[in-house]
Amino acid sequence: MSSVVERLRARLGWEGEERSSPIEAGHVRRFVEAIGDPDPRWQTEAPPTFVVALGQETPELPEALEYGSGWLNGGDRFEYLEPIRIGDVITSRTRFADVFEKHGSSGGLLFLVFETEYRNQHGRTVVRSRGTRIRR
Amino acid sequence: MRVEAGQELPELVKHPTTRQLVQYAGASGDFYEIHYDQEFARSVGLPGVILHGLLKAAFLGQLVTSWLGSHGRLRSLEVSYRGLDLPGRPLHCRGRVRSVEGSWAELELWTEDAEGRRTTVGSATVELEAG
Repeated sequence: MSSVVERLRARLGWEGEERSSPIEAGHVRRFVEAIGDPDPRWQTEAPPTFVVALGQETPELPEALEYGSGWLNGGDRFEYLEPIRIGDVITSRTRFADVFEKHGSSGGLLFLVFETEYRNQHGRTVVRSRGTRIRR
Repeated sequence: MRVEAGQELPELVKHPTTRQLVQYAGASGDFYEIHYDQEFARSVGLPGVILHGLLKAAFLGQLVTSWLGSHGRLRSLEVSYRGLDLPGRPLHCRGRVRSVEGSWAELELWTEDAEGRRTTVGSATVELEAG
């Protein structure tokens, strides 16, 4: 199993393609309805976790699929520099930032960490995110 | 708004349903089958379909932004998914002010299931408006 970690380690720093997404009112509304947050503020602004719905590119890591039988989400971190408003055009790029293995009572877990930076149409970084995905 | 260390945020109780998980899958683009296909979920060793971790993160985001209103801005949100949550069970979203320094406050956040287990733990940083 540890060879999987070594092979993944060689892919660290991988970056996805840049992706540009216009922030559409209908998409934000469907997201807000799905999370059940009635704050009228989300009629003009994207709620805190909306960036995850922009479908950032994640790397194809077939090596990771050799480990365990399924995915779990370990955690997420968001840093907010500026609000994202409906009508903005957000450009994002995801980077494969870290990989490590942990051994628990029920076997091994493989942790993959991805970082994404989101910029608006003015070239300013608005959100940075860091997600930890687990193979088990 | 007065914000002091130790202060509790008003609790937010969510009642997630399988329908909501399907809605969230569609709106977020996360179509992993463990969130809406019972048979698939059980085939990978889960007790049934489970909530998206990021849906719980969204609930904790709502807990903070609805409390803050226009009195400040959310500057960071961090969550760690510790336990599984199933639809059809109430999920209690809670938080407490850990510390205040100038116009910045650090919050401790968590979700609690019906048995009182903390299934998500996290933190947030908020910047408070003057006055």
